[in-house]
Amino acid sequence: MSKLERIMHIEDDLSIQEVARVALEIVGGFTVKSCESGSQGLAEVADFNPQLVLLDVMMPGMDGPQTLAELQKLPCMTGVPVVFMTAKAQTQEVSSYRELGAAGVIIKPFDPMTLSEQIIEIWNQMHA
Amino acid sequence: MPKSKQLGTQLAALDARFRERLKGDLQALETLASQLQEKPETGSNLLTEMRDRLHKLAGSAGTFGYAELGSRCRELEEKARIQMAADNPDHATMMALCSAIPSLRSLQQSRLTKEPELEPQAKTDAALVDRRHIGLLIQDTALGLQMSHTLTSFGYRISLYKKQPEIAPDTKLDALIVDTSPQGYNMLQSAPFAERGVNAPPLLVISSQDSFISRLQAVRAGARGYFTKPVDLPALESRLERCFNTHQGGPFRVLIVDDDTDLAARYKLVLSNAGMLVDINSEPNLLLEKMHTFSPDVVLMDISMPEYSGPELAQVIRLNDDWLRIPIVYLSAETNAERQMSALLKAGDDFITKPISDSALLTTVYARAQRARMVSEALARDSLTGLLKHADIKEQVDIEIERAKRCEQPMSVVMIDIDHFKKVNDEYGHAVGDSVIRGLSNLLRQRLRKVDRLGRYGGEEFVAVLPNCGTRDAWLILEEIRQAFNTLAFTANNQPFFCSFSAGISGCEGPTWDTRDLLGKADKRLYVAKHAGRNCISGPQDGPQKS
Repeated sequence: MSKLERIMHIEDDLSIQEVARVALEIVGGFTVKSCESGSQGLAEVADFNPQLVLLDVMMPGMDGPQTLAELQKLPCMTGVPVVFMTAKAQTQEVSSYRELGAAGVIIKPFDPMTLSEQIIEIWNQMHA
Repeated sequence: MPKSKQLGTQLAALDARFRERLKGDLQALETLASQLQEKPETGSNLLTEMRDRLHKLAGSAGTFGYAELGSRCRELEEKARIQMAADNPDHATMMALCSAIPSLRSLQQSRLTKEPELEPQAKTDAALVDRRHIGLLIQDTALGLQMSHTLTSFGYRISLYKKQPEIAPDTKLDALIVDTSPQGYNMLQSAPFAERGVNAPPLLVISSQDSFISRLQAVRAGARGYFTKPVDLPALESRLERCFNTHQGGPFRVLIVDDDTDLAARYKLVLSNAGMLVDINSEPNLLLEKMHTFSPDVVLMDISMPEYSGPELAQVIRLNDDWLRIPIVYLSAETNAERQMSALLKAGDDFITKPISDSALLTTVYARAQRARMVSEALARDSLTGLLKHADIKEQVDIEIERAKRCEQPMSVVMIDIDHFKKVNDEYGHAVGDSVIRGLSNLLRQRLRKVDRLGRYGGEEFVAVLPNCGTRDAWLILEEIRQAFNTLAFTANNQPFFCSFSAGISGCEGPTWDTRDLLGKADKRLYVAKHAGRNCISGPQDGPQKS
């Protein structure tokens, strides 16, 4: 199993974007590429070649599910898990995201200290 | 540097930015809310924007430690979403949503401190417990905002309403404060005040009238407090606190002394069903031991037992000073008024005559227990502030020092003194001075943890003992309180004014665990703080103390 190193984070809320970046870089030791919107993510994903994408659900313009659908069309995304981040926690929503093809769902608010752990857990499940 | 610390430092920088952003976000939400309140018919775009903003905050606030703000935003977001989905948006729900928005501001302060150096046990409980939700029904905007601000700094969550219909029926309030002017107390006669049940949240009334009849009207509406304008806010806060305490002072403890075990068991069942804690003593020679171990609020005493009489046992109890305040109620088949009176003359407070109806038993015990609790609270505590008195807080300092030594856990002693208090008294009079003292004591009580001990040491001087809390953490906690106190507005001659305090901290910590003269050291630190220009805090981390 390859080691998780590169994560792309797509999130329009800049505060959250920064906390997540800091948390993932310092605690998890990952390399993080932050994008402000779904379209920016789509434009940069081939270049950055992430091993995992962390995707906010509710964004203006292209929302999470739309972005996911577009990402799934790209060849460079084959086998790359996409993890949703959402402030909504209802179980039916979580399962509907999984049906769309999300590898996991992380609930906001998240704890910066354990965010990396949560992601590694999802990563390990994918590769178990 | 460990990762947690490194992350903490980075987050602290981001936190500061987030705090700034939060101000703007809340402002924007408030603007949206007031626009919607004014012109609800044009609202669908505004409502969408409001929902989006609430959603964002719901996601981000919690990550930055504002857990309560985050979850409150989520609740409101949900309401906005339902409102948007409705074919016929409900006007009242909409107004309720809008009037709930300004209360978000109060949750800014309920942030969990996340400084990496701060040990988890040093967090203030006030920030951890769910804040009590108080509804303010006030037409006068200025007064409403002032009260909302003050009560927020005392740690309450406030919702401000202008009209009674704005309070949505499903709103869960812990207390309601109503300003009866300018409509007068007619408004108290309208629903929902007219139909308030026993379990309704406490109602406090504010009025511009000081008359007997107006107080009577308030009592008839179920009021538990009555305040005339200008409102003495610290007194109002004390009253609120008292309302909550009677609700939550733990179950009443009743000791039944009766040789008839069947009957005693029956009484026990009745009282236990009403939520009281009941113990039975059927062997009078063990009574004193039971009094010590159970420490009842009320003693129910059978009047005739084989070897001892009830009045005899009651007199034995009364020989101990600690038990003077405990009501003793006789249970007896005795209907002869003269003999009843002679029993009461010896000792004891009341008679219940057998056979006793369940409700008579319950009512008598409840009323006695409640009264006894109030009296003993009042006796042990300073009458102005409700805090421990000088001797008691000194005793608490000693107890906590012993504990700290034994468990090798750090503890801190804080001495607090209101700055330029004499000037307040001279300029505004003693009544205003008293309200400042009460204000600070309420604030301290709200912000410190339940395990912390707080006493009024002298005139305007307070002492707090913080077990299991190092001096650095104590400093951080006090600093937060100091800043909150600075923003607390007091009123004199209808003009607001502000006060500050200085504090000195000493402590017992490793590696030395030196416990000598902590009060004296805190006092010296207080002196240092006063000399440094007041409105500041001095503690061991400020470097060695010059003597």
